[in-house]
Amino acid sequence: MCVNKSRLLLLGGAIAAAAIVAVVLIVVLPSGSGSGAAETMTATASTPQSTTPVTITDILTGIPQHGDTLGRASAPATITIFEDPQCPFCRDWMLQTFGAVVTDYVRTGKVKLVYRGIEIIGPNSEPGLRAIYAAGQQNKLWNMVEAMYRLQGAENSGWITESTVRTAAHSAGANADAILAAMNANSVTAKLNQAARQSQTDKVQGTPAFVAVKPPAQAQMLNLPALDAATFESALNAALQ
Amino acid sequence: MRLRAAIAVLALAGIAVAGYLTIVHYAHTSPICTTGGCEKVQHSSYAELAGVPVALLGLLAYVAILGTTAVRGVGASLAGAVLALSGAAFSGYLLWAQIARIHAICQWCVGNDAIVAVVAALCVARLLGEPSPG
Repeated sequence: MCVNKSRLLLLGGAIAAAAIVAVVLIVVLPSGSGSGAAETMTATASTPQSTTPVTITDILTGIPQHGDTLGRASAPATITIFEDPQCPFCRDWMLQTFGAVVTDYVRTGKVKLVYRGIEIIGPNSEPGLRAIYAAGQQNKLWNMVEAMYRLQGAENSGWITESTVRTAAHSAGANADAILAAMNANSVTAKLNQAARQSQTDKVQGTPAFVAVKPPAQAQMLNLPALDAATFESALNAALQ
Repeated sequence: MRLRAAIAVLALAGIAVAGYLTIVHYAHTSPICTTGGCEKVQHSSYAELAGVPVALLGLLAYVAILGTTAVRGVGASLAGAVLALSGAAFSGYLLWAQIARIHAICQWCVGNDAIVAVVAALCVARLLGEPSPG
């Protein structure tokens, strides 16, 4: 093919323009999706449209919390929740839907929640998970989960530091020094390993993931087209029938 | 004419892939995945650009490239080449990010990378082979 000089110049211009566009996109991209901005948690109870601002303390007060389990041990159904502290959708679920689920199912004794923290976003998730499980030794795991999400930064930006853990522990009403001291304990490592094994058993491919079981029925992964309270409770009701 | 048709067909394939990922993004669901890393990639900070899903940007770029195939002339060829080369370069960066930063591979993203690379090559060929006006 014979190509004239002017056309090659045009191609050179196209390549230069494309390079500029690509560089601009790449420079803008690392802005990330995480946010450390404070939000008000909402509990939607049985009427998801009418939200009532409450705090994590309001939601959890009076509900038994032992280690990684929230709710009465005698609850007939269990929801195992797989989360990563760096996962933005997990944060959305915790800050927007968790309150309604606790109000409607856990406080009423229908369901208990079991936390399974897994590293799925990146290596910086591990210290966050260790801090969360360490808070579980003070029966503050769920408070710590929520507090970490409120401090969430961009994925893999290294936002989970000792300072983050201290701030979250303070918000969760937990002893920060005790959490930091326990983060590398064998018992915490065992919890991480247990969660990782269970995620493989339950074929968890992403977070958040929810496995509901009401014996003698088989456990089943909730199929959620969205994470709002109405959608979640509809899927949960179907699973627990 | 054949080049424009080939570009149009590939742009439609790109629209299908990017459209699917855009729907998945806004529905907060997980894409169908055999590589196991799609959700991790789609939930990573590389999936959005200033709050806009990267998949949506890809969708718009493919629609624009498809539009250039409906018009003859050097201007349309040049516009198509700029769009496709930009997309190919950015897709290359995102492929690097999947491998080196996210440590997960999304099959839909890799499929898109292949489509945009071929579209870019065809757009360049079209630009070089487009008859001069007059």
